[in-house]
Amino acid sequence: MQLESVKTILGDVLSLGPSARALTRDSALLGNIPELDSMAVVQLLAALEEHYGFTIEDDDISAHTFATVGSLTDFVTDKMAA
Amino acid sequence: MKDLAPEAFFLPADDGVGVGAGGQRYCLYQPALGVCRGALVYVPPFAEEMNKSRRMAALLALELARHGIASLRIDLHGCGDSSGDFADARWEGWRNDVGLANTWLEQRCGHRPALLGLRLGALLAVDYAANADPARAPQHLLLWQPVLDGATFLTQFLRLRMAGAMISATGAAENSTAALRTMLAAGQPLEVAGYELSPELALAIDGLKLAPLGRVRCALHWFDIGQPERALSPATDKALAALRERGVEVGMTRIDGPAFWASQEIATCPPLLEATAALAPRFATESADAL
Repeated sequence: MQLESVKTILGDVLSLGPSARALTRDSALLGNIPELDSMAVVQLLAALEEHYGFTIEDDDISAHTFATVGSLTDFVTDKMAA
Repeated sequence: MKDLAPEAFFLPADDGVGVGAGGQRYCLYQPALGVCRGALVYVPPFAEEMNKSRRMAALLALELARHGIASLRIDLHGCGDSSGDFADARWEGWRNDVGLANTWLEQRCGHRPALLGLRLGALLAVDYAANADPARAPQHLLLWQPVLDGATFLTQFLRLRMAGAMISATGAAENSTAALRTMLAAGQPLEVAGYELSPELALAIDGLKLAPLGRVRCALHWFDIGQPERALSPATDKALAALRERGVEVGMTRIDGPAFWASQEIATCPPLLEATAALAPRFATESADAL
């Protein structure tokens, strides 16, 4: 359910342009999208916090969170349910 | 276009606040095109955000010049082309730099400058105004996406190091923002994203909040930048309410546009420039009483 808005936020933060629409749950993020450096990860966290109104703690996240579009979406869904 | 060329120079800085912030500051002075009706000092944001927003700062200076406003952009101590390393930078020194820029511009063009701060620069501008001599303090502050809480901002900055550790799969735990804060509190400088952050600067930022620094005699013009149809963040709502409750005049303008201070590619936000320049008549008539 959150997939589309996560894709939109990814596209905005990483300046992906139209190619953001082609992302699927299985699209790999960390290590695959060169734009996703440490600065982008931090911006992504801030954008998610602002968009969804939750606070992300250090313990909430790991490299796995940013493995794929699907894992990031699941993270958002879990945070929303918490 | 020749009339719109900025003038680059180094402004000598005394270390009036005793934090080793002497040397000189790199400045860009943009004269007004035609008759000068007002003045504005641009207070830059923190670390990489300063570099990402240089394009917007340059466009702002041109837009204001066309509206009869002269402006000064300053690289703060330890930043850009100014003296000192980032590790030497202290909050009091930066506040002093804002005062230097303000005094220089007022003397140069005969108008008391308004201040425009972006992100942490907005918090610095508000802190400067709150601590300035009331007879000489700025009467208008323009805030572009201001940092409202220094502690939240510091956490986001420290996350850069945590994210770096996460990506390289080394030591994410010892780079948690909590662990990094402990190191700072113990007096240890930290390198974050290529910037050596001193504990003194970090702790000063950590303790600042924008709303309590608002002053009745100083009008705030706040620009909130983001995606269309978003709601104001809860933190923004809260700060606005706190300021208004204390009788501070705050105008809020909402702009649809990218986070140009942080975007991967250098981005601009023309509607923000237009909306900012549209405010020029509000602060343009303020000639300096002292001159």
